[in-house]
Amino acid sequence: MGVLEGAVTYANLLTLLAIGLTLTYITTSVPNFAQGSFAIFSSYIAYIVYKLFNFSPYFAAPFAILFGGFIGVVTYLVVLKPLIKREASILILMIATLAWDLILLGMIGIFSESLSKYFGAYISRFIFPYYLDFKIAGIQGIFFSSTLAIALSLGFLMFLLYKTKFGIAMRASMENPSLAEIMGINVETTRLFSWFLSGAFAGLAGALLPFKQEIVQATGQIIIVSIFAASIVGGLSSIYGAILGGYLVGLSESLITFWLSKIFGTSVLVYSKAVSLAILVVTLLIIPGGLVTIKWRRYLWRSRR
Amino acid sequence: MAFEALISSILLWFGIYSILSLSLNVEYGYGGIPNFGKALAVLVGAFTAGAVVNRILIAMYSIEGTTITQRSGFMKSTVDSIIASNPAYGIGLLVFTLLLAGLIGAVIGALYILPSAKLESDYLAITLLAIAEIMFMISYYNTDLIGGYYGAPVPDVLAFIPGELREWAFVALILFFTLLTYLFLERTLNSPYGRLLRAMREDAVALQFSGKDIMWVRIKTLAFSSAIASMTGVLYSFYAGNVVGIVNLFARVNWTFFPFLMVLLGGMSNNRGVLAGVFSFVVIWRLLDGYKHEIADLLNLPFDVNWLQYIIFGALMIAILYYKPEGLVKEKPIETEPIKELKSKHSEKA
Repeated sequence: MGVLEGAVTYANLLTLLAIGLTLTYITTSVPNFAQGSFAIFSSYIAYIVYKLFNFSPYFAAPFAILFGGFIGVVTYLVVLKPLIKREASILILMIATLAWDLILLGMIGIFSESLSKYFGAYISRFIFPYYLDFKIAGIQGIFFSSTLAIALSLGFLMFLLYKTKFGIAMRASMENPSLAEIMGINVETTRLFSWFLSGAFAGLAGALLPFKQEIVQATGQIIIVSIFAASIVGGLSSIYGAILGGYLVGLSESLITFWLSKIFGTSVLVYSKAVSLAILVVTLLIIPGGLVTIKWRRYLWRSRR
Repeated sequence: MAFEALISSILLWFGIYSILSLSLNVEYGYGGIPNFGKALAVLVGAFTAGAVVNRILIAMYSIEGTTITQRSGFMKSTVDSIIASNPAYGIGLLVFTLLLAGLIGAVIGALYILPSAKLESDYLAITLLAIAEIMFMISYYNTDLIGGYYGAPVPDVLAFIPGELREWAFVALILFFTLLTYLFLERTLNSPYGRLLRAMREDAVALQFSGKDIMWVRIKTLAFSSAIASMTGVLYSFYAGNVVGIVNLFARVNWTFFPFLMVLLGGMSNNRGVLAGVFSFVVIWRLLDGYKHEIADLLNLPFDVNWLQYIIFGALMIAILYYKPEGLVKEKPIETEPIKELKSKHSEKA
């Protein structure tokens, strides 16, 4: 896979995950540390579906999406809602998602090892080999399918938010939950749905990720730092911010480390996550609100004069 | 697993995690600073032992070798044989490393909290987590610094004690340091400083109005608690004989999540509660770990019991947050002299 091609594929998937994180942050104001594990659990589900039917891995994507949505809903209903009712602070909710992430990691481990025994094959660590993917003009299919996935997801999200009544209700409850409640909107339903969507996006990303990189049980713990970086760089409370941040972090993570490796040798390739973490820390210190809070127009206007 | 080994491992981990959790309690329980990168201070301890003191010793004995891991290994055998005949050397090395780690830990801790000037709550927590993750990533992948994933052997400071007694000697040593830390923190936190920290946790703005520089309080607190926490890193590295137990990618769970779990389980801003939390956690943890093969055989589990551990501790954390947010032992008001007087007068009347 070419460097740029791989970078775009990764950025597509990261954006998908970042949108999910942002969506639940806007509605529930919890930075969800389990987002990475949502995706990886779904990757395992996709792999099992593929193993069972021995059909194209793309066929498994719908199952992964549904499963991701299911974990999202469970996360909200079982872990967060009872705590929110008790008026727990954001920090407590964050610790709860960290704990939930640990639970998911345990479940992923149990699931993968039990099925390894069942299938009589080692499935704790896997990848979708390139020959399972289609090819157009010499470019791996995952490049197109991940682009298509992000385009469809964004199109769906925008249609939902701006063209349907439910979407208007969702946006209202994002802007001002108590006012929305007065207007007769069931804020609980919109929250629950945002968790479903967030999980479903993560599930989709999880179904496609094995084409790009090897999946192990702890991949979720590793990828979560990039997801956070992507969401925060753009601005944690804006969906456009997540798109911007997803591409910025996704592309720079692959490309900056690639360029650095040309200068300093291949040993720097392992630090790709350090790049995104550094971007994260710098953004938080300089523009904590993220890129979307910068008033670009003002700067443009000034420079023109 | 022998019963004796189980008891010694419970006591050992109780000591190590007590020091770490007590220091986290100063930051999070008393000061309300969400230090989600607690593991960094432990890394500083491992770094002092494995990267700084090792290099000093290697230079002192002019040991040759290709990598830091290899040179540390040669150095360890030389230094161990010296310590075996000269106990004072071992104790001196331990004390020197602890002091050095405390110093480096204090400096790093003070620098590390600087982002809190601009950030708070969840943003601060994510930033601190990210800083700690970067440091771990660099020390894990860069094998020249502290051995990375190959690890770096450190000298056995108790090499003069015969092999079969070494385990218990270390348990005694670590429990001794735990007792020191506990007594020290108990005094410190019952002083005006402890009340200052609680005030900062409850209402930082009000504290600013009464003329306190919050940033300075935070810097002092992190320097102080990180110094203590880095001693944990030193003690554990010396016990394990290698820094590889700290410099790995599980640090977020072992050295950040578990301490948070213990502090919340025991009860925040309450040293005795934290000790109770650490003890309950460590007993469950060591029992599960010690009997994991027996459990797997008994229940005919087709997977490693470690995964079950993760689920149990994650669920325990959520259950505490939900059912017992105040922990095993509740926070008590600080008994200052005037309050004690008032109380004794009250009881005289009654």
